[in-house]
Amino acid sequence: MPTVTIDDIKVEIEEGQTILDAARKAGIWIPTLCYHPSVAPKASCRLCMVELQRGDSSRLVTSCNYEVYSNITVKVSSEKAVNARKGVMELLLARAPESEELKTLAEKMRVTSTPYPSVTESQRNCILCGLCTSVCEEVIGKAAIGFAGRGVDKAVAPPFRQAAEDCIACGACVAVCPVGTIQMRYHEDTNEVEISPFKARAKLGTCAECGAPLVPVPVNEEVFKKGKIDTEELRIRAALCPECRRKRSAQTMYTAALSSRNP
Amino acid sequence: MKLSSPADLESYRRELEEQTDTSAKTVRVCIGTGCAAKGSRTLYKLFCEAAESADNVTVEAKCVGCHGFCERGPIVVIQPGNILYQRVEEPDVAEIFRETVIGGRIIERLLFKDPATEEVARTEDDIPFYNIQNRIALRLNGVIDPTDIDDYILHDGYSACAKALTEMEPDEIIAEIEKSGLRGRGGGGFPTGRKWRSCREASGEQKYVICNGDEGDPGAFMDRSVMEGNPHAVIEGMIIGAYAIGASQGYIYVRNEYPLAVEHLKTAIGQAQETGFLGEDILGTGFSFDIRINRGGGAFVCGESTALVASLEGLPGEPRAKYIHTVERGLHGMPTDLNNVETWVNIPAIIRKGGKWFSSIGTEGSKGTKVFSLVGNINNTGLVEVPMGITLRKIVEDIGGGIQNGRAFKAVQTGGPSGGCIPAGHLDAKVDFDELTELGSMMGSGGMIVMDEDTCMVNVAKYFLNFLQEESCGKCTPCREGIAQMVHILERISRGEGKEEDIGTLEKLAALLKDTALCALGATAANPVLSTLRYFREEYEAHIRDKRCPAKVCPGLFAYEIDPDTCKGCGVCLKNCPVDAISGESKKPHAIDQDLCTQCGTCFEKCPFDAVIKV
Amino acid sequence: MADAKEELIQTIIGRYEKDPGMLIPMMQDIQSEYGYLPQDSLIMLSKTITVPLSRIYSVSTFYSSFRLAPKGQHEVTICMGTVCHLKGAGRISEAVCSQFNVKPGGTTSDRLFSFQAVNCVGACALAPVMVIDGEYYDHMTPESAIEVLSGLSAENEEQENKKAEKKKSKKKSKKKKTSNKEKTE
Repeated sequence: MPTVTIDDIKVEIEEGQTILDAARKAGIWIPTLCYHPSVAPKASCRLCMVELQRGDSSRLVTSCNYEVYSNITVKVSSEKAVNARKGVMELLLARAPESEELKTLAEKMRVTSTPYPSVTESQRNCILCGLCTSVCEEVIGKAAIGFAGRGVDKAVAPPFRQAAEDCIACGACVAVCPVGTIQMRYHEDTNEVEISPFKARAKLGTCAECGAPLVPVPVNEEVFKKGKIDTEELRIRAALCPECRRKRSAQTMYTAALSSRNP
Repeated sequence: MKLSSPADLESYRRELEEQTDTSAKTVRVCIGTGCAAKGSRTLYKLFCEAAESADNVTVEAKCVGCHGFCERGPIVVIQPGNILYQRVEEPDVAEIFRETVIGGRIIERLLFKDPATEEVARTEDDIPFYNIQNRIALRLNGVIDPTDIDDYILHDGYSACAKALTEMEPDEIIAEIEKSGLRGRGGGGFPTGRKWRSCREASGEQKYVICNGDEGDPGAFMDRSVMEGNPHAVIEGMIIGAYAIGASQGYIYVRNEYPLAVEHLKTAIGQAQETGFLGEDILGTGFSFDIRINRGGGAFVCGESTALVASLEGLPGEPRAKYIHTVERGLHGMPTDLNNVETWVNIPAIIRKGGKWFSSIGTEGSKGTKVFSLVGNINNTGLVEVPMGITLRKIVEDIGGGIQNGRAFKAVQTGGPSGGCIPAGHLDAKVDFDELTELGSMMGSGGMIVMDEDTCMVNVAKYFLNFLQEESCGKCTPCREGIAQMVHILERISRGEGKEEDIGTLEKLAALLKDTALCALGATAANPVLSTLRYFREEYEAHIRDKRCPAKVCPGLFAYEIDPDTCKGCGVCLKNCPVDAISGESKKPHAIDQDLCTQCGTCFEKCPFDAVIKV
Repeated sequence: MADAKEELIQTIIGRYEKDPGMLIPMMQDIQSEYGYLPQDSLIMLSKTITVPLSRIYSVSTFYSSFRLAPKGQHEVTICMGTVCHLKGAGRISEAVCSQFNVKPGGTTSDRLFSFQAVNCVGACALAPVMVIDGEYYDHMTPESAIEVLSGLSAENEEQENKKAEKKKSKKKSKKKKTSNKEKTE
């Protein structure tokens, strides 16, 4: 079990865990954007930089994906590390000036403004962290969106920039987007949800009993495609809202209790 | 015909030797990309026809790979005598055949004439461009037919492979490479022996060796010439490396923009497979290894090793974090050794002659020779292979023949977009990995672009940053956003909209990128800016403070004027000016109205008397 | 999708033993065949080697050599390497773009040629370099570039005229048709 000395606090972690894991165990906050525990780290935002000591010298590394296999010493609050993180945030603020979430994070880092002009265009403040594409591929398994293009013209898009066909409107990308770019919109007139800006729409399910809205239809279908259980009862329950499911369970239990009393 | 043992190879080589008449007349025609662009393939065909129809005499017309002196192409070398003809054209073929090949007479006008000294060189060895060189990697370029494995074998080809596989243990081979001091020739300069050793020691059920043929540095074409002109040497190097490391599969990743290299490598691999150097049980040793060629898709960033690996896995060429090295976890998560073309090509020579021999050439920190592509405003353009430690001055002046058109030397750019510019004051610097780095540049893959006094260094920095912006994969914030910010600043400066704090901002961004970028492309992106700031700061300051471009390149930051003493009043400029800024009477000196002039440069180009000058 | 296309894709995939790691060579082979990457061929590829379509689209838009729209009859590339740049490649590119109304990466409206800027083709001694259909042209200037490309236009017109003439002669008697055929053979 290697020891990480992080800002003079010593913590023991498992081999293969990261500096970020060590920081969280030590109660030290490191800002992150493209990191999420449910997907493999990409280390693309470069916000979580810390200073790794090596004898007399040091170098900056990203804490989210630096795997620890031996005792190391790390500085999070050193001038070098703080300046590096500040510099990265300043570049991000120039790219995505209208994201409230980004501004909040910047403030927490004590970065109030950016000296740089906006020279790149983002798609509604997208910072290309890649969490949406990762979650869609690794967790949901649909890979409905991906990166398109290269360099400053890179963007997240569905294939051929047409409406995302493989999208099941589960909203995982909405949940995981750290800057508020991806949004879920409800269209009352058609009872559809839309994942914006990927032009994916799906009808919400409807409770067979009371008519309340349920998860999007494709999500339900996906559950049955991936799940190992497919019974009639499960199918019936999947078409009910939580309230009506409870009622059904209660009814079932009551009926069973009655018949056990009166054989 | 399959060779199944070193003895087979040796007897086959002897057979070929016996069949070769060394006094026979040969015409070697270069068909490398440079000469082919000027029609050398037709020359080859014509020579073949002439050779066939020659009655009492046996003449062999042979196509060979790039000699390196592309400026003077098409190049034709006649044996016996090693007579080198340059800039050969179709009408010359008949004369050459009649006079030189058959008659043994020299045609003066086709010989190389030194533009500075006016001395005429008869043979290759008389030309300073060649005789100062020490050719190890390029030994057989221009000598053998790259599409004929027999020619390679005849010149000791695959003998190193036989020796390594049958007389040496993997550890011995690695020790020999370590002894040689060979450092990566692709730009990283990492000690090759150490890399091989780490890969050998790494654990994994499958190991790979990769040849990085994605030569992306603009101005560099060393690897192209080797892959086109001597593909078997690359293969032989890889077989030896694979055996030493324990790899069973190899890949050669070639840039999409090098179709001839791909073709020659494919042919060579096919021949190597047929002859038994690739495939199962090579030369009866039980060692099996094969090579596959992958073409790049058109992305400079794929020259970076983790991006190359990603490309081989069918992904976009985005680099990955390098905390776990490729030698431990590379292609498909397996231990992978990746080396540059030129590195691989040095391996057979080191095995044949020994690591000690290799380390006797060069400097303390940089052993052996290096191939450079010497290009730009220089008289003799082409590929040169020189021992490490040679001075820049010797390369530029003695081999390169000095600056074209009598202009003055301003700087030499080395190391591609990750490198820097070295000014005249450092011409006596030794070409060596560490020394070039200390000067603010780097060895890189070997591109050496010579720039004369008419070059604007701000414009050069802007060019490289634009290039990097195009080629950035876009994955990480500092590179994608930081380079865009630097480009924006440089464009403002070259438009005359520079601000006082711009230099400070550029330096700040440079430091940020160096510390935080994910890969070397981003981390070294600022080098062109930093090195030009280091040596040519006054130029930046002139652009920013005085809105003036001292080299008179950036439009709007200099003026065109008509020299009244030279102007003949012909009126060509007046007629062609798109904004009617020129006035003047016939046969009297004309003048440009600076208020109307847009610096388009049309008058400058059109004036038949060179009376329009830049001020 | 046409059966011929399906068969071709299967052949290409088989050539690389259906290995999803060989995605890029597969796409290069498809582009060799059609001159670009037709959308339906990529969809079929995605299904057959079980690689997400979004990844295939990522790859096709990441690498400069891939084209998602048909290219022109001729392929024109201009080298923008350092030496070519220093020797005026930028001005040549501008001249071509303005003369033929095309942007780098695009195709002329009459589909005569596709124009692309590439980074260093490794022929620096011949700078500035332009490559047309694989043939290298050296020491170009804005004027010579326009001249060569206009030559392509003229060629195109000539071919159109020849086609029109052939159509005319077809309308004539059958006897003449056979004799024409003999001449061309």
